[in-house]
Amino acid sequence: MSGDPPRPPGERSPGTGDSDRSGGLGGWVRTRAENVTRIARWEVTKNAGGVDRRTVVIAVLAVLGLGAMAPVAVSQGVSLDQGIYRVGVVPEDPYYDPVFLDPTFRVQGPDAGAVESGYQEVMIVGPQVREYADTAKGRAAVDELRSSTMRYNDGIMELEDNRSAAFPVVVNLTYVEREAAGVVTQGQQPVPIETDEGGGSDGGDAGQTDATATPNGDDTTASDSGGDGSGSDGSERGDATESGDGDSDVTRPDGGRNVAGSSISARLTGGSSTGAPSDISPPFPFRSLVLAFVFVLPLNFVIQAYGSTILSERINRRGELLLVAPVSRKDIIIGKTLPYFLASLSVATVITLLLQGSAISVLAIVPIALLFLSATFLGAMFARSFKELTFVTVTITVSLTSYAFVPAIFTDVTPIALISPLTLVVRDLQGQAIGAGQFVFSTLPPTLTALVCFGLGAGLYREEDMFTQRPIPYKVLDALAGPIKRRRSVMLVTAVLLPFVLVAELVVVAFMYPLTQAQVPFTLVVGAAFVGIALVEELAKSLHVYAGYAHSRFDDGLRTALVVGVLSGIGFFLAEKLTLIARLADLQDLQIGRAALGEQALLQTGVPLPILAAALLLAPLALHVLTASISALGARRGRRSYAVALVIAVAVHVAYNLTVVTALVG
Amino acid sequence: MSGESPPAPEPSASGSSERSLRSDARLTIAKRDLSSLSREKTIVLALLIQLFVAAFSSFLVVGLTSLYSPGSVSAGEVVVGVAGEHDDALVDAASEQQGVRAITYPTDDTAREAYRNGRVHAVLLAADSDSRIDVTVIAPQESIETTLIVDQVRTLLERVERSERIARSQHLDRSTVPLPEEVDASPYFGFTYTVLVPLLLFLPPFISGSVAVDALTEEIERGTLELLRVAPLSLVDIVDGKALAMILIAPLQVVLWITLLSVNGIDIANVPRLLTVVTALTTLVVTLGLALGVVTARRRQAQLLYSVLVIFGFGALTFLPEHPATTVAKLAVDSPTPTTSLHVVGYAVAAVVGFVLARRLVAGTDPEGL
Repeated sequence: MSGDPPRPPGERSPGTGDSDRSGGLGGWVRTRAENVTRIARWEVTKNAGGVDRRTVVIAVLAVLGLGAMAPVAVSQGVSLDQGIYRVGVVPEDPYYDPVFLDPTFRVQGPDAGAVESGYQEVMIVGPQVREYADTAKGRAAVDELRSSTMRYNDGIMELEDNRSAAFPVVVNLTYVEREAAGVVTQGQQPVPIETDEGGGSDGGDAGQTDATATPNGDDTTASDSGGDGSGSDGSERGDATESGDGDSDVTRPDGGRNVAGSSISARLTGGSSTGAPSDISPPFPFRSLVLAFVFVLPLNFVIQAYGSTILSERINRRGELLLVAPVSRKDIIIGKTLPYFLASLSVATVITLLLQGSAISVLAIVPIALLFLSATFLGAMFARSFKELTFVTVTITVSLTSYAFVPAIFTDVTPIALISPLTLVVRDLQGQAIGAGQFVFSTLPPTLTALVCFGLGAGLYREEDMFTQRPIPYKVLDALAGPIKRRRSVMLVTAVLLPFVLVAELVVVAFMYPLTQAQVPFTLVVGAAFVGIALVEELAKSLHVYAGYAHSRFDDGLRTALVVGVLSGIGFFLAEKLTLIARLADLQDLQIGRAALGEQALLQTGVPLPILAAALLLAPLALHVLTASISALGARRGRRSYAVALVIAVAVHVAYNLTVVTALVG
Repeated sequence: MSGESPPAPEPSASGSSERSLRSDARLTIAKRDLSSLSREKTIVLALLIQLFVAAFSSFLVVGLTSLYSPGSVSAGEVVVGVAGEHDDALVDAASEQQGVRAITYPTDDTAREAYRNGRVHAVLLAADSDSRIDVTVIAPQESIETTLIVDQVRTLLERVERSERIARSQHLDRSTVPLPEEVDASPYFGFTYTVLVPLLLFLPPFISGSVAVDALTEEIERGTLELLRVAPLSLVDIVDGKALAMILIAPLQVVLWITLLSVNGIDIANVPRLLTVVTALTTLVVTLGLALGVVTARRRQAQLLYSVLVIFGFGALTFLPEHPATTVAKLAVDSPTPTTSLHVVGYAVAAVVGFVLARRLVAGTDPEGL
């Protein structure tokens, strides 16, 4: 216990506050802090230092080499689509130069036969496209030719002396925040644009609070664009003719470049303000998003190392020594996790400082880091070998990265984006304010999910599970059956699994959202969302029940099954009230969000009758109890009947939701 | 345990394909590795992951493309407020363009007013500065909508510019090239062949190499490599067997992808040559992984070095006349050149050379030291 006593850390005590022992609480906390620090220190010195110097040197050299190559590669102009379209054109034709200058095309002699037989996509005779292959490729080639010709024409006009004839249109683009304009001229009511998808109004209310901060704050890469920041806050700039007046017949090489040549920095930052029409570029709305991606990337490397160290405890019974040491399981897990968690956080802090984000960015990364680590921990407890761990880690990487990343794409479009804490980072980088409700909505579900993952993994962190080799599905059942001691615990497990349900459901909704924007009929999308959500909920209500049966925790009597099912349903119903936090983010404003949150949100639709409200409260309870009982009845008979019962339960659930929604909304 | 050292590995690795008994043993090892993959269901997981990555990237790009070329999805109409001296030119251009509606306002101030009140998406104020049309565009602050609006406005103004250039052509020494007619082309075509297909074709080799590292270092770390060597097998045989298994599964996955793509209406041409490229690249990365496994004998080192070096190599290949991704794209879209074929041959030769070198390295390694 007292080998070489490390000083208890002043700055950080273990965060799990399940302190039941009241006597000597301070001493107890101190002992745990000591244990955790000792294990963490051991983890750092023994494991992280385990990569030898040679490896580090080679890896660093390779990364440096990659960094050195990047500018060279960029300057050479790497084009992946090099030479994919073949164009038949002779040097006398006007199209020869545009085709020749664009690496996407390969120049051939015009040959109608070649077009017929698929060796040439476009054939040009004289000043016109005589023939093109009637395939997807041929049409794409013509389309590409069109845009290259436009670029070429602008280049030709660049050489002209008569600037005003060559570039007859001068564009001066300014971005003006409507709300800011409304502030300047008193009495104006700021009204956001109403579009078909209704996205504009949602994006608007976040920006409204900080309209004055935005012109400076949104430009994180900064300093070279200038145009958009300064141009946007000048509210009345009627006379924007300072660049192009008085030189209609004078050749002015520099001035001409100003009009026609688009500055690369402006193109990158999307802040191009003045120039010919082809020079204005739409702002790249994903700039902050790309930057935010930088936050997630290091986590993937951290979990590689973390998964390795957890699994290596399980190989050759190495972890047994730690298990028999006089420390608790929690201390071991926290101690082993802490260095990796701190590493993630410090990387996030450094990136935040570089990108000039605020503390909110770091705080928003905390749940993401916890989620990555907890999923890896659970995966490493499940995996049988390093091979399997590699796949598990890749799965975690891919699914969690997309969970964090995909919703953040829609940051400015819909509040659904808030299901990912990365959205908070994007907003923070854009300089938008973030409400406390939004913060909680965004971070609470992933944090709870992470804690549940750690809890399930901790249940397996014991001798009889750690060193046995079982396929992953059985390990999952082991983990779920672990906390089930008696029938009552079913209710608790159902409730505990709810964060999973919440996150999974929101992900389902988020994936449905793009479909509503496409041509897919809305009812179809809602139907798909219903099925997805019902499946998630029914699994959460019954999987551990099945695990309990598989581990013979219950007798297979009819009565037990019903009791267990009812308990599970009640547990779910009670915990589901947690979804009320969805209201904090105004999610019910969205049609699809309303469908997702089902009964909860229906209460919002403004039906005032108390009887109806009571019915709406009781109906979900009845539904959850019923479906949970159905699947519990199936679960007692084994795998196949469980699957059948689950399908029935899902069908009942979907039917219920459809009935309620059509009766009340439609 | 160790007893006599195993039969001395062949110093020359090139002519070692005829011994039936030894090649049998290698096949057995390959089979064993493959069956452990399928038993652990990891191969299913691998396929799912790749499918997910592909879906994810297409999802992203379809989203991006629909934003950048508004015609590709049924996006809402963009309403622009037009005012100023040249408003008729703008209105004419807008009438030719799909998805844009122009509303004329008598003065600049009324147009600005309309913008502030949210009646139009953007305002175009066309003033005459000397002989130019000076257009001041006012667009909303950055958001996804802005991208759409600005894109439409740019197309509109380019149209105006073209017609103005024609009107002033007598003042110009050079003439512009007329634009080809607009065709109904899929905006995803280029992406599909230059990004999606290379991505799907390069993921299996990368995964294979990573699994090869695991397959070898795990045996070393668990101590089961010693058990394997009790059998009349040299280290070279064991490594050969593992390489064989991992090299085989990559082209198989690629065949699956190509089939899936064709079902979705994306035809992939030159399949044999594509498979050659994939097999050659897989051989290269798998031998790299196994060599690292033999040299470091530790999973963590080997995996780290493997991923860093493969990414480095992929970056370094940009200095070839044709990047592998371009080669794959040109083959898949059926526009190969002699250079493309030369690259295919080059990869095959490099794979053979790499394999031979790796075998020599393994042969020179003392198995007792692992």
